[in-house]
Amino acid sequence: MTAAQLLPVLVAGPLLGAAVLVATGRWLPRYVADVFGAVVAGAASALALGVLVATAHRPAAVEWVGGWRPRHGTGVGIVLVGDGIGLGLAAVVSVLVVTVLVYSWRFFDDPPPHQAGAFPALILAFQAAMCGFTLTGDLFNAFVFFELMGVVAYALTGYRVDEARAVQGALTFGFLNSLGGYSLLLGVGLLYAHTGELGLAQLGAHLDAAPDGSGTLVKAAFVLVATGFLVKAAAVPFHFWLPDAHTVAPTPVCMLLSGAMVQLGVYGVARLYWTVFAGSGALPEAAVHRALLALGVLTAVTGALLCWLQRHVKRLLAFSTIAHTGLFLVTLAVLTPEAVAGTALYVLGHAGIKAALFACAGILVDRFGNVDEQELHGRGVRLRPVGVLFTVGGLALAGLPPFGTGLGKALSEEAAGGWLTVLFVAVSAATGGAVLRVAGGVFFGLGSPPAEEDRPHAAGRHRAGGEEQHEDAETTGADEPEETRERVTRAPDTMVVAAAALLAAGLAVGCVPPLWSAVSRAADSFTDHSGYAMAVLYSTGQHLTHSPAPHWSPAGVTLGLLSTVLAACGAWAALRTVPSGVRPRWSLPLRRLHSGHVGDYVACVVAGLTLLAALVW
Amino acid sequence: MSLRVRMVVLAVGLLGLAAMLVAAFRKLPGFGGSWHPYGQRAVETALGRHTSNVIASINFDQRAFDTMGEQAILFGAVLGTVVILRTTRDERRVEPEPARVPAPLRRYALAVLPVTLLTGLYVVAHGQVSPGGGFQGGVVAATALHLLYIAVDYRALQRVRSVPLFTLADAAGEAGYPLLGLGVLMTGASFLENVLPYGTLGTLSSGGTVPVLNAAIGLEVAAAVVVLLAQFLDQAIVIESEDGEQGAGSVGDGDGRRGEGGAA
Repeated sequence: MTAAQLLPVLVAGPLLGAAVLVATGRWLPRYVADVFGAVVAGAASALALGVLVATAHRPAAVEWVGGWRPRHGTGVGIVLVGDGIGLGLAAVVSVLVVTVLVYSWRFFDDPPPHQAGAFPALILAFQAAMCGFTLTGDLFNAFVFFELMGVVAYALTGYRVDEARAVQGALTFGFLNSLGGYSLLLGVGLLYAHTGELGLAQLGAHLDAAPDGSGTLVKAAFVLVATGFLVKAAAVPFHFWLPDAHTVAPTPVCMLLSGAMVQLGVYGVARLYWTVFAGSGALPEAAVHRALLALGVLTAVTGALLCWLQRHVKRLLAFSTIAHTGLFLVTLAVLTPEAVAGTALYVLGHAGIKAALFACAGILVDRFGNVDEQELHGRGVRLRPVGVLFTVGGLALAGLPPFGTGLGKALSEEAAGGWLTVLFVAVSAATGGAVLRVAGGVFFGLGSPPAEEDRPHAAGRHRAGGEEQHEDAETTGADEPEETRERVTRAPDTMVVAAAALLAAGLAVGCVPPLWSAVSRAADSFTDHSGYAMAVLYSTGQHLTHSPAPHWSPAGVTLGLLSTVLAACGAWAALRTVPSGVRPRWSLPLRRLHSGHVGDYVACVVAGLTLLAALVW
Repeated sequence: MSLRVRMVVLAVGLLGLAAMLVAAFRKLPGFGGSWHPYGQRAVETALGRHTSNVIASINFDQRAFDTMGEQAILFGAVLGTVVILRTTRDERRVEPEPARVPAPLRRYALAVLPVTLLTGLYVVAHGQVSPGGGFQGGVVAATALHLLYIAVDYRALQRVRSVPLFTLADAAGEAGYPLLGLGVLMTGASFLENVLPYGTLGTLSSGGTVPVLNAAIGLEVAAAVVVLLAQFLDQAIVIESEDGEQGAGSVGDGDGRRGEGGAA
């Protein structure tokens, strides 16, 4: 049995685990189901890491499922490709799932009757979907796993059904992602009609060979497929589902959505471009660069602004994810191996840090039944260890060396260059600063407590029917339903340990040079359009000249320190001077746009599709 | 956004989308051409594997990995529904009352029930030979069971529809794919490789692993539809909120708690 043959197990294993949990859920005690879920996810992580290490210095593992190897470059089967980036992401997803399952051992007081294993089963199915999406080398198969990710994630988002808001958030998530799914499927259909192929490598080879007389079709197909992935990636203006879903989803689910799933959308766009379109004359590099850059800047700025303006801690973290997605897209727009390596390291570091921050927010939910920054002012003082973790997470988010986020930011700045450096520093500082502001106020009691009339209960009276339509378009974090069995008197060890481990992982990404060179090699082959097709269709490897391994540069360290200092100053200034609860008037239209009204969101997604088309044309 | 702004944004988006699609569709290959690269390969391959239903060959052999994902979507959707529609703390279950059903309706439904069940099983069993298969037959078989609800009442359906049993069957069907795939992998072949003898074209035993995977899908789909409908019907008929309101809005006319659910 070769390493490549084991690739499908990364999908089948968790699916089998989910089936076992559902079949036996009626008789299993709760803790057995939880432990079983973690063991299955752990075995899959070990397998992913094992295959990754075993194939590190060899050509990518390529497996035609069912043994349907193509002859003379044509075939009927589906291929899984375990190259550095794809398999690496599968490993990250799997490890994150294990952490989340450990974290949620103390979660949820009412599993569905007779279904003690429902939550871990859904998480395992989610893991299978994400691994399948990262490994597949077939566009239709990618759509299948895109949908599976969605279906499971909607259910996980709406898990706390007693809350109208949770169901509303899950519905919004479902509507927008289904719309993305239709767009994706329409694009796949166009490409299939044009080429008669579904495999990424075959599609790419076909477009390379074709004269560019059908440029409009190829461009339209790119726009449609990319829109699907960008909805998943929560790029503005396709992002509206993300803050609403994160506001209501159980915290462990937020960790998976923000830490891994959203980034898979960005991965999808990059994979699509390099395998299918990079060699075709019909879609010029400049057009893709322009589109990704414009959407990336829009996403980063919108996310950072709204992140700073939030007081609901989970919603604040959600907008910070959007801001970072914007930065990933801006870097990717450079379309070089260095940019991909920078983005990959940024994503790795971000996964650890953001999941850790959500883990800390989850502890607040359980301790206080509340994640409102102003309500909680000074109340977290007794949770000092959590406060320290949250602060460190904020510093890391701002780009403090030697965290992985800092390295990713430094490499991204290097790749993007020019005025975009300002964007990276500003967005990192704003998101990190917002987290530090929360940390200072909630955990250390800095600044002045909010005046009585700003209390969220006064502001919250306008909330109606689960929608967030206050006069001031504000989402407070009060009245969170409890997620644990009872209000915990001190933060449970598993939750704190999970948060600390995630932060440590985020730190390790910036401190392990062998990882950097491995990511750099992976990025080189990821951006090698013809090399991918040769490896997949003809099992032949090409010699690839590797770019120099990335490393910390003095400029990168300086800028990382700069954005960290800016974040700290911003947080300090906000705590000292701005009266709590007052949001600038100019931000009202932007906040009103996030109305919770699905119709608004759908209109924006459709308009966004047209915007993307205009950018590409 | 106000209604007017929303409509303007939507109109701009739709116009742009329409323009792009029209431009792209004009470049599609003409209707009725003879160029079908994938179709040709798929048909040749299906016949090479002695599977006369080409669709089944694509679903359960050539692109079986897609189908594993698709059945996982169904499985995930059912599990998600079980989670979302669970009886919450502020809800309680009330036993449905017996209902009177007009005699002709009763006779008709009871007569059609076994025929429908048999048709479903037939469609599943012949998936590798003729149009149909596990997906279609599974839905037909599950529908047959629900004729009891029309012919008698909800309590009769509840008696034969053991949700734990069907949940088990749903999970077993879902596990069929990974189990078979991993089993094949153990023999040294590729995951989900068609390692069984292909048999004689056009017979029930043709197609190698196709009938096995097809049966797993049939089991899963039939069980999944039963469990899925059980969740919705329970929500409409059995589950009440604490203040006595029916869970799913205005379903149920009080007479046997039947309502629109029965027509589904």
